[in-house]
Amino acid sequence: MALADKSIRREAAVPFVLKLLAIMALILLLAPVVVVILAGLNSGDHLTFPPKGLSLRWVIAFFQSDAFLPAYLFSLVLAVVTMIISTILGTSIALFLARTEFRGKQMVRAFFMAPLMLPGIVLGLALYLFYLSSGLGLVRTMPGLVIGHVLVTCPYVIGTVNAALVGFDTTLEEAARSLGAKPLKTFRAITLPVISPGIIAGSVFSFIVSFGQFDVSLFLTPPDSNPLPIALYSSLRYTFEPTAAAAGIFAIFLVVVSMLITAKLTNLRQLANVNFS
Amino acid sequence: MSNGSKKLVDLKRRGLLKGGAAAAVLAGPVSLFNINHVWSQDVMWDGQPFDAGGATIRINEWGGFWQEFMQKNAIDEFEKTYNCKVAYDSSFPWFPKYIAGGPEAPAFHMGNWNLNEIIKLGRAGDFFLSTDELKENLPNAADCWDFAFGSGLGITWGFGQYAHVWRTDLVDPAPVGFKSFWEDRFADKRATYITSNGLFMTFFMTAAAEFGSGPDDLEAGFEAMRAAMPMKISDFTGNMQTLVERGEVQMGVQWEGEIFLQMDKGIAVAPLTWEKKPILTQTHTVSRYSDPMEKKLALALVNTKLDPVFQNKAADTFYLRPSNKKAELPERLTNKGVTNTADALDGLWIPDWNWYLDNEDEIVETTNEIFAG
Amino acid sequence: MSAFLQRIGKPGRGALLAAPGVFFFAIFFVVPLVSLFLLSLDKPSIGNASVQWMFDFRNFERFFGRALYYEAAIRSAGLAALVSAITLVLGYPLAFLIAKTTNVRRNTTLMILVLCAMQLDMVIRLFGLMVLMGDVGIINEFLRWIGIIGDEPLPLMYNFTGVVVGLVQFSLPFMVLSLVGVIQGINPSLEEAARSLGARRWQTFWKITVPMSMPGILAGLLLVFAISFSSYVVPTLMGGWKVVVLPIHIFQQVAELGKWQFGAAIAVVMFAISFLVMLIYQRAAAQASGGRI
Repeated sequence: MALADKSIRREAAVPFVLKLLAIMALILLLAPVVVVILAGLNSGDHLTFPPKGLSLRWVIAFFQSDAFLPAYLFSLVLAVVTMIISTILGTSIALFLARTEFRGKQMVRAFFMAPLMLPGIVLGLALYLFYLSSGLGLVRTMPGLVIGHVLVTCPYVIGTVNAALVGFDTTLEEAARSLGAKPLKTFRAITLPVISPGIIAGSVFSFIVSFGQFDVSLFLTPPDSNPLPIALYSSLRYTFEPTAAAAGIFAIFLVVVSMLITAKLTNLRQLANVNFS
Repeated sequence: MSNGSKKLVDLKRRGLLKGGAAAAVLAGPVSLFNINHVWSQDVMWDGQPFDAGGATIRINEWGGFWQEFMQKNAIDEFEKTYNCKVAYDSSFPWFPKYIAGGPEAPAFHMGNWNLNEIIKLGRAGDFFLSTDELKENLPNAADCWDFAFGSGLGITWGFGQYAHVWRTDLVDPAPVGFKSFWEDRFADKRATYITSNGLFMTFFMTAAAEFGSGPDDLEAGFEAMRAAMPMKISDFTGNMQTLVERGEVQMGVQWEGEIFLQMDKGIAVAPLTWEKKPILTQTHTVSRYSDPMEKKLALALVNTKLDPVFQNKAADTFYLRPSNKKAELPERLTNKGVTNTADALDGLWIPDWNWYLDNEDEIVETTNEIFAG
Repeated sequence: MSAFLQRIGKPGRGALLAAPGVFFFAIFFVVPLVSLFLLSLDKPSIGNASVQWMFDFRNFERFFGRALYYEAAIRSAGLAALVSAITLVLGYPLAFLIAKTTNVRRNTTLMILVLCAMQLDMVIRLFGLMVLMGDVGIINEFLRWIGIIGDEPLPLMYNFTGVVVGLVQFSLPFMVLSLVGVIQGINPSLEEAARSLGARRWQTFWKITVPMSMPGILAGLLLVFAISFSSYVVPTLMGGWKVVVLPIHIFQQVAELGKWQFGAAIAVVMFAISFLVMLIYQRAAAQASGGRI
């Protein structure tokens, strides 16, 4: 690389105004997080800020809690199941939409995005009514809840996989096929590596959206197994407790750990690519 | 019971639905209805523990710490004694779930919630057993004060008085009387609840009574709400606690139990009990059209909650006053001057929910306009 | 010829591929939604939630006839549009920073920070926001301390501002994540070429980077619009009952008043508005990608 390129690279740093706005955005994002973390580490008796002192007592209370810990684990399982189903369905839909041309394709695309457009509570209620009248035995069950979660997370997967497919050169696939490779092999060897960042990104989105999902879960939650957002809401209706803040801390902890792991597998920035058109 | 015979019961149930309901309206809840109804036998519970064979009943009740208390002090024991499973739904609101299924397919077999929701549901359909039927089947019900049956649809097992919660360290001199809420010094530092919250409804009716000719004086109520602006609107009592603790609000609508609990945590608040003495109630309902086994379990569970020992524990944990005459009050209530006697109940007022529900549309719309400024 | 045959062959296989997804959506999305729409065409009746096939429009007449409701529709759409715009202005620089930071550890950290903010539960987040933005919150106390404001606090919460801030705070990560990959994917040689031709940093930014990141910008705008438009929790908890948007009306009608038919009608109106926005997005996206190299 010539010296001229080096100087361009140095000057390619982010302009000051943009950096300022970026920092403002980061502060906006993280300030509530910091408050909640500190509140959860409070050594005092009730939820307050600033904390009277720092202690792990509420974190321990969270581990011993009959309401929050099971809810946390349930949310985890729910999010993983939702992630798997959403990723499979979303990827297949995205592939289909990217490869085929037909009239009204745009409407169909819009249609698959539609679950995001409706309030989660409407979706939840519509599904609840549907389960009751259809007699499929889904009312108040976990599969019923999963279905609701898959509906609202699928669009994200479709978006990220579609973004990865937009620049994909289909002639590569055609070349492989004309060389005699079967479709499945073509998919695994050629297509998959290219779109895998999109698939991983979609999975991550699905997981996070499902884990934090409140609106859809409100009417579909089976009794006795609450997702964490519902458990927090039900508890906070009555009493604002530091245990709730500790639960929040643990959710964040989960993200940090899983993202650190993911970062080993792929550059995290690759995850962020979305296209719905 | 085999599947076949169960279906027969279902069919008969639907057929008798209209007839039974009509008969109930005509003949009163006890005599005719019970005799004609196909499972009048099933409604009977002899008050003795029984083996439910692992059946599951669904209940709706508050979550969080409340749920933990209930599990530890009533439900765990109950599940063992009766060999059953209690599926506990704490995700409020429950009203739409009941409505979606209709009375014949009750979303829950037993519930613990507030009177305004219960009566609203009762008006929408024949969802619950009447208090007379409950009295027949619950041994502990005989020991309860009369007001516990006032709604006709459920048994109130605990109650507390409404009070303003105020910050003793931020407010000086101390406020006196219900109307102190409207003092200028509290402008934008006072709070009430959204219209769907029962505490707002009682607040509205009390304001109407204090400023007007009675709790049904709509205009006086609306005027009072207008005069109270600017004020903050809270969603639920947990949020009100936080608002007060943070100092965002110096006076708010609350009930004694939560105020005492905050005081125990060392927060500088105190209650200002309302002179009109409205009470906040925790009421149990039993769904009418549950299957027989679940219905018996529901009855048994309600009975457990009416037990004096349990009520004493609830009072000790939540400052919830018992409705059972035989319940002993814990020290933390007695040292605040509370007694469990007929005199203590003198003047306690349960709002007229039926009147409120008749006028709810107008109250909600007008009040929301006032709140929106 | 063989290429053409291959192309015909593809839809066949592709259709099989998409079948489970389409099937899933058909049963669990289309059917419940259609039932809901049919419900909106029934006469109002409290306590009844099953479709009666009446094909009556009075619910819609009620909606469009009362200012309370159609103003809420305008408020909802306006709020969502405003939030989308603000989120773009704040989110683009952050996405740009992450995309342009070459140090792997730094950009991983930034990404993780963004994802952490996404993961914080909504209700407990309210506590955090209350501590920050309340009348006696950190911001107001700070402003009071440095003397900018007197006794009267800046009303940042329990009003429209509070809802906007809450929604922006909630949607920012979605916007950032929609943008980072696209910005990063812009061929650096394009920017280098522009610079070597003498363009300043800002010119490059506005003439090359931003137009080339348009697909990401549009996707982010759409996503944030959808999220803010359909949000129930944030306007409820942050709006102080002054910002009554359509989801709040729906919840009131269905969950509190038992008026399923009217609630369903409001949902239909919401769906129509969002569908319109979606089509606008697709039009814009088609035009934008038409300009791509």
